[in-house]
Amino acid sequence: MQSMLGKAANTDWFGPLVVVIAAVVVIGAIEPTFLSAFNIQVLLSAIAVNLVIALAQMIIIAIGQMNLSVGAIGGLVAIAFAGMMEVWGIPAPLALVLALAIGLAGGLANGFIVAKTGISAFIITLASLSFFKGLNLGITEAQPFYGVPDAVKAFGNTNMIGPIPWLVLPAAIAGLGIWYLLAKLRIGRQILAVGGNPHAAELSGISIFQTTVWAHGLSGLLAALGGVMVVARLQIGQPSIGDDWLILSFAAPVIGGAVLAGGHVSVAGTALGVVVVAIITQSLVLFHIDPFVVQVVLGALILWAVGINRWREVRVERRLRGAS
Amino acid sequence: MQPASSLPLGQPRSAGSPSFVRAGFLGGNEFGLIVLIVVFATLFTLATKGFASPFNLFTLGRTMGIDILIGFSMMVVIVSGGLNLAVGAIGVCAVMAAGWAMETFGLPWPLGLAVCLLVGAALGAVNGEAIVRSGVHSFIITLATMSIFFGGMVFLSRAEAFRELPPAIAAFGKLRLMGFLSPLLLVAVATALVLGWLYRFTSLGRRMLAAGASPKAAEVSGIRVDRTIVGCHILSGVLAALAGAMLTARHGAAIPSMAGHLGQDWLLPAFLAPVLGGTLLTGGKVSVLGTLLGAMLVSMLTNGLLLLRVGEFWVQAFLGLLLLTAVLLDLGRRRLLARHRIAV
Repeated sequence: MQSMLGKAANTDWFGPLVVVIAAVVVIGAIEPTFLSAFNIQVLLSAIAVNLVIALAQMIIIAIGQMNLSVGAIGGLVAIAFAGMMEVWGIPAPLALVLALAIGLAGGLANGFIVAKTGISAFIITLASLSFFKGLNLGITEAQPFYGVPDAVKAFGNTNMIGPIPWLVLPAAIAGLGIWYLLAKLRIGRQILAVGGNPHAAELSGISIFQTTVWAHGLSGLLAALGGVMVVARLQIGQPSIGDDWLILSFAAPVIGGAVLAGGHVSVAGTALGVVVVAIITQSLVLFHIDPFVVQVVLGALILWAVGINRWREVRVERRLRGAS
Repeated sequence: MQPASSLPLGQPRSAGSPSFVRAGFLGGNEFGLIVLIVVFATLFTLATKGFASPFNLFTLGRTMGIDILIGFSMMVVIVSGGLNLAVGAIGVCAVMAAGWAMETFGLPWPLGLAVCLLVGAALGAVNGEAIVRSGVHSFIITLATMSIFFGGMVFLSRAEAFRELPPAIAAFGKLRLMGFLSPLLLVAVATALVLGWLYRFTSLGRRMLAAGASPKAAEVSGIRVDRTIVGCHILSGVLAALAGAMLTARHGAAIPSMAGHLGQDWLLPAFLAPVLGGTLLTGGKVSVLGTLLGAMLVSMLTNGLLLLRVGEFWVQAFLGLLLLTAVLLDLGRRRLLARHRIAV
């Protein structure tokens, strides 16, 4: 039992899980409305959307890069999704497929340029961030699309069972899919191998080019899914969707123990990271604290998480040195 | 030890012989930028009515001055091999603090400027210390502090602007020398001269470059890399604060939203200028003149495209493409030079 607890304490998800349970108990005791059905529904909707956004970044962190354009792809897809339905009258399922295809294409383009040129993903995705955002604003002229069909609105605002909203469904599929991909599939193992040590990965016959392109494609696809989900939730195609995703998309994976140098990420840890962020944001609202404090708390959370991760690394190093 | 594939096969020619010095400059970023600036200036003058008018040159100079400073504030940390996503947040925080001090205590503008630069230095020092002590990459630290600084500033200021500043500040922003020259551009040029002197003639500047080129080698040769990196971030904070002060002079008020949400609007100009100018993102190489020219080109293109009625929304998409084209061209140029065995 002791050793099982000890083993659990060394995993990525243990720390955030303790924080989540403690926070739910404490906040629930002080403010019982925190555990009301309505509040749980609001919380789950936020968690569902944010999980997809965090996964879009996590998959790129896994290969040891970063994708600044997650929010810009999400925003462009969001207005394209709403715009196609309003202006061209395309039915929602077809618009969904086209919207996801746009995200996938954007991601693949990022990946192709990064892999082909070897220029840092930071610069490439900063450029594409600006390009996608410019396209978004050029198309919409900063005006939202309002013509979202009722079925889409209902999907973003009604519940599946009890207090669980429909939005949880795509998020759960995405989460399980990425977990399965990283744990079981060849491409997932290759992504982690390239992130861990690109040189060794290449020597063992993995194509860094293909792996990078696919990881970025996947990131674009997830960002697109996030954009579509936000449209369903907000009920309009707002051009500003995605503007505030950057900090969030890094906060959750880092809280979940992702190593920014690549090669080590955790879907469960990232999901718990999203839950931590959502609980804190929500309780600030419940306790009537200035919403701008959320920014400060998010930043502090990132620092706290990298501090913890660093401390764990140092501890592991020390133990390894002690053993040898 | 270099990997064998990158070694030239034949006898390496001396890069120091006169013809190659010339090739180095003609193939360099600075020369390319000057050509581009001249070409586009000519195009815009011919294609638009107002481009060469004294008033447009004046507003263009003001924007250029601010963009150059924003580029410098990023350049000085790129030199050390890091980056600073919080430049926009620091710039806005610094001027908001100065605006508050001037309105509340009635400080004259020189003291206000001092407060502004001090706050910038302090926030830069926080970044630097956090990076050095935690050993975490500057990307993630400054991502976090950008959120903390900006959130804290909006919380304290209640998102309200300071508009009752000393009139000298707005007057400085409106001042026109010889009918077309903005003093803000002169401030930027003066800063460029100081930075050029720093990197070329002072040991501090050389230490910064050495720390960026190879931290281990620098450490071995007795440079305190940690202190040097903190120094780079303090300098970045001061330059970001100065850029904020210049923006305040242009607006005549200290406005929380003047660099966008979290100060993100500064990120693209901040990276565009140094990258166009040939400052290596991996650190260790700097071109102050290149950054200056890069920022000038970007402001000029933005201004010209707006005059051509491209629509301000499309300009952002265009700037993104420009950054992409610039890095691709730079890559092509370097490969070409490598093929002709010219050291860059």
